[in-house]
Amino acid sequence: MKNNSNRITLLYVLILLFMAVIGHKLFIIYFPKSANESLLNYSYAKDLLYIVFSGLILKFILYQNEIRNKSVFEKLQLTNIKIKESNERYDIVAKATSDTIWDWRIEDDSLIWNKGIQGVFGYEKEDVGSTSKWWFDRIHPEDSLKMSVKLYSFLEQKTEKWQDEYRFQCADGSYKYVFDRGFLVKDASGKPIRMIGAIQDVTKQKEEEQRLRLLETVITQTKDAVMITDIDTSKSAIPNIIFVNSAFTDMTGYPAEEVIGKSPEMFFGKKSDILEIDKLKTAIQEYKECLIETISYKKNDEEFWVNFSMIPVTDKEGEHSHWISIQRDVTEEKEKEKEREQLIRELTQNNKDLKQFSYITSHNLRAPLSNLTGLLHLIEDITIEDIELKEIIAGFSKSTHLLNETINDLVKVIIIKDNPSIQKEKVLIKDVFENVFNQLSFLINVNKPIMKIDLEDVTILDINKSYLESIFLNLLTNAINYRDPNRQLRITIATKVENDNLIITFKDNGIGIDLEKNMDKIFGLYQRFHNYPESKGLGLYLVKSQVESMGGTISVDSAVGKGTTFAIAFKYN
Amino acid sequence: MLDKILCVDDDPITLMLCKKVVEKVEFAKEIITANNGVEAIEYFDKLFEERKSNDSIDYPRLVLLDLNMPVMDGWEFLETYLRKEYQTAFISTKFIVLSSSIDPYDINRSKTYPVIGFLSKPITKEMLENLKNQFS
Repeated sequence: MKNNSNRITLLYVLILLFMAVIGHKLFIIYFPKSANESLLNYSYAKDLLYIVFSGLILKFILYQNEIRNKSVFEKLQLTNIKIKESNERYDIVAKATSDTIWDWRIEDDSLIWNKGIQGVFGYEKEDVGSTSKWWFDRIHPEDSLKMSVKLYSFLEQKTEKWQDEYRFQCADGSYKYVFDRGFLVKDASGKPIRMIGAIQDVTKQKEEEQRLRLLETVITQTKDAVMITDIDTSKSAIPNIIFVNSAFTDMTGYPAEEVIGKSPEMFFGKKSDILEIDKLKTAIQEYKECLIETISYKKNDEEFWVNFSMIPVTDKEGEHSHWISIQRDVTEEKEKEKEREQLIRELTQNNKDLKQFSYITSHNLRAPLSNLTGLLHLIEDITIEDIELKEIIAGFSKSTHLLNETINDLVKVIIIKDNPSIQKEKVLIKDVFENVFNQLSFLINVNKPIMKIDLEDVTILDINKSYLESIFLNLLTNAINYRDPNRQLRITIATKVENDNLIITFKDNGIGIDLEKNMDKIFGLYQRFHNYPESKGLGLYLVKSQVESMGGTISVDSAVGKGTTFAIAFKYN
Repeated sequence: MLDKILCVDDDPITLMLCKKVVEKVEFAKEIITANNGVEAIEYFDKLFEERKSNDSIDYPRLVLLDLNMPVMDGWEFLETYLRKEYQTAFISTKFIVLSSSIDPYDINRSKTYPVIGFLSKPITKEMLENLKNQFS
């Protein structure tokens, strides 16, 4: 039977019928005499009627009950579905906003968290506490005082909505910036009994905020003037200003209000360089960045040199939206530049004058010197009997010759110093050596040094021939003059190529130089550190000047009593 | 031995030296001197006039010319000499520059004039001996 109520009714009717029939049967059996047939039948029929009737009533009652139950059931089902939906929505919302939701029953201090506490802050389910203490413990110590004061005063005042920002600790110990909003539920007497809140992780926004604030301080606090303009060039060639920072006001004397909406053309005046301003205007037309330097005018009409840059700025879509200009007052630098240029001019002129002076002096010294030399030549032909006179004339002669050589050498030095770029040609080193040997043939014959020459036949240098000759002459003469009297002079000259350089070495076994004492004097001008009469102290200075004017380097190695080695290096490829 | 030579120099000692050396080497019979370019030009002007009437009058075959002289220096003298076309009038006259400085600039410049030599002071017997060979 489908229907439960039908079954019950039927069962009820059947049982009662059965009982009625049994009762009747029993009555007939136990009370046969008093049995009036028609009475018995009547009572039988009455019983049956009562039973059927009450069965129907029962059925009816049951049926009503059922209907009521059904509707209640359906209502419940609907409500259930709604609740489920609502829960789902709540869950999805919580997920979508990634908010962490908390529910605080104030009376018994129980605080429940949603899944967010695990997802956002990394806590495991077991680690999440159940009281408000767990929540307060995890607020950053610097924020907790402020936050709890605010919260409790809010509870006192019983306002409905609360919000605050603080730092909340994650499971790994790090802190996140959060934005917390709460809603207070009060009971009938207005006492707060429950509070529900949503925590939002705003760390990224906070960091972005801090970054922007930092960038902003760059503009607001920099000492360089920053100016931003729009791009509208319809009214004036340079677009209007929309922002200036305080450094701009400091530099020009104009407060922001007085320049916003105006074109920077107002800062230029009669001494401003028109060409530079045109350069700026053209760059603006072409959307190109530009840097100019010109005279600008402050609010009080004071002039100053400004270094003015103009850079086009595009927005996110790549559309040109603004111009940024960074300006600097370079009046001081310009002054210094002028001073420097003046100084350079003076020095150059001074230098020129000195050179002129030295040339003239050398020339004017030479003229009488040549006369002295000539006169001395004539004296040589005259026989002098007087010994004292002979001595005196000899002294005269020597001194005059020394004077002559000194002046000649000084002139050579001037020529080298004066000529930064000297004539260079391809020179076969072997030839230069042969030339030098010829010039020194007399000295060589007298002293008979053992010469070992190790030149590669085809060594050609791009160099000044006469300088090279002079260098070799000097070094060779030195080697001969400063030989050790106790042994045979040995001179070794070699060339070798090393790392793009050609190195020429002059080695002798002469008296040597005490380099510890005289290292810085050896190439100095008029520096002598021995008593050999042949030297003026100029030779090595000349050599060094000549080597260096051709872009080479010279170095010396020596030991007293052993000998000296000079090494000259030139670039060679 | 040459007959006549002309020494042009502002320094009297140089002139004296010059004379002495020339005598020693027997380089020339007669040594004329001039103190600067103007005197030298005037000398040539006078000779020019004299030779107009008598062209057998001798003129110096060699001129030792200093460069650095007051009033008119060696270069200006040469310019004037050439302007007056004396190189054709005194066709055998040769010039030698005698200078106390061996400035390559001067040497190069002298090549643009009828200068056959550039010697540096002081003038020596050897120099004149060499010149003697050149002239004979």
